[in-house]
Amino acid sequence: MNDYSYDNQTVKGFILSSLFWGVVGILIGIWISIQMWNPSWNIPPYFTFGRLRVVHTNGLAFGLGLGAIFGIFYYITMRLTKRPLLFPRLARFHLYLFNVAIALAALSLLAGMNQSLEYAELEWPLDIGVVILWVIFAINILGTIIKRREEQMYISLWFIIASVVAVAVLYIVNNLSVPAGLFKSYSIYAGINSANVQWWYGHNAVGFVFTTPILAMFYYFLPKSTGLPLYSHRLSIIAFWSLVFAYLWTGAHHLVYTPLPDWIQTLAIVFSMFLIAPSWGSVVNGYYTVAADWSKMRTNYLTKFFIFGITFYGLQTVQGPTQALRVVSQLIHYTDWVPGHVHMGTMGWVTMIVAASMYYIIPKIYNTEIYSVRVANTHFYLVLIGQLIYSVTMWITGIQQGALWKAVNPDGTLKYTFVETLVRNYPFWKLRTIGGIIFAIGMVFFIYNILMTIRKGKSLSASVA
Amino acid sequence: MRMVEDFDDIEAFEAKETRDRLPIGWLILFWGLIIWGVIYFFLYTPQFGGWSQEKAYQESVNK
Repeated sequence: MNDYSYDNQTVKGFILSSLFWGVVGILIGIWISIQMWNPSWNIPPYFTFGRLRVVHTNGLAFGLGLGAIFGIFYYITMRLTKRPLLFPRLARFHLYLFNVAIALAALSLLAGMNQSLEYAELEWPLDIGVVILWVIFAINILGTIIKRREEQMYISLWFIIASVVAVAVLYIVNNLSVPAGLFKSYSIYAGINSANVQWWYGHNAVGFVFTTPILAMFYYFLPKSTGLPLYSHRLSIIAFWSLVFAYLWTGAHHLVYTPLPDWIQTLAIVFSMFLIAPSWGSVVNGYYTVAADWSKMRTNYLTKFFIFGITFYGLQTVQGPTQALRVVSQLIHYTDWVPGHVHMGTMGWVTMIVAASMYYIIPKIYNTEIYSVRVANTHFYLVLIGQLIYSVTMWITGIQQGALWKAVNPDGTLKYTFVETLVRNYPFWKLRTIGGIIFAIGMVFFIYNILMTIRKGKSLSASVA
Repeated sequence: MRMVEDFDDIEAFEAKETRDRLPIGWLILFWGLIIWGVIYFFLYTPQFGGWSQEKAYQESVNK
């Protein structure tokens, strides 16, 4: 026991905010998936596919994703540095500012304000807000790590530092623009430079929002919740440094077969393929950790979240690099394969690990047990099935689409018109909506479980007092 | 609600006997991908291997 007390309210605030934006983002996701096969679900001007899709991606990446990352990073950092946050009040302000920023982001996107850069759609006044938000976060996290009371830095802290530093650099560089009024700006990059910077940003947003922060959680909560020590500290450190070294070179694999110079494409492909090694370093480490006692899969309800999560991470990090290869890219790029790929990562890896982390944190904060392990298990199987339906249907239709696009007659003309290739997506798009609904029902079980645990914790502490 | 908590014991996070171990299969993967990367980079960079996107396109059209 110690004399310090951690500020759990801010952590809890971020977790609840993250869940709120998660609900909004998932519901919009289902909505736009219906729009793909039933256009009458578009309600112009505010609720068309073009505007809702960016609210879906921003809402989930930055609302659910960053909200969870902020809260869980504060939680992990305090414990691994053996001290409270350097500036607890600043963290509280960060929480309020975060929710205001996400709300304004959603409204501005629905109003049609958009820089037209994927995952960097927000216009410049909001960009400045996001930078302020991030600086506040960075000062608190990095300051707490510098002033830590435990000399050794556990691997999660390295992943946290990389996330904090990389996102700052990426976001500022890609959003540099010349304002033309309050709600309109022009990027300082043009043409192929703009494309190159955009995908350097776009791909590394995936790297430093959906990969390194989630690995920080994985490395912390897997040993914590199973009681099994990490298999190899050295492997985790080598995986960390090789991952962050290679990641920032890979963005141009989004621009294979474009006017981007050949050597830049090739370099990006090389670094993308190399990423399999550091990614699988974490996968192997996870498996070997639980291999010390596989019965934990049955006896501890959280273990399967981590093992399935890291398995989907493993599949994702073979699929992703392979997609960078020219021969694969020319078949699946621009098809529905790509959302299938992305959603295995977000639904199978990110939300799986984030949910498990929250299941661990919330009862800890209230000094109680989870409300229901059975509800958690139901949640697990529903999100697993929903995600598999989503990914598999999109892979099938994506390959079909790519093959139809590439089919040519002996004289070199295209065999199929675009519309002919489009209508074949419809059965798969309908199945995807079903997958999304199953996933969403799973998330309802999750949120119910979290809220009931909080309620249980409150009544417990009231009865003690 | 603020409460007093236990510290995290860093030692408990790491398995002692295996903490410095690197699995041999993983090492093969690691170095294999580096070697593959060097070869691929030379083969598919116009300045070194002679391959270019433009040439590959022309070949596919002439087929």
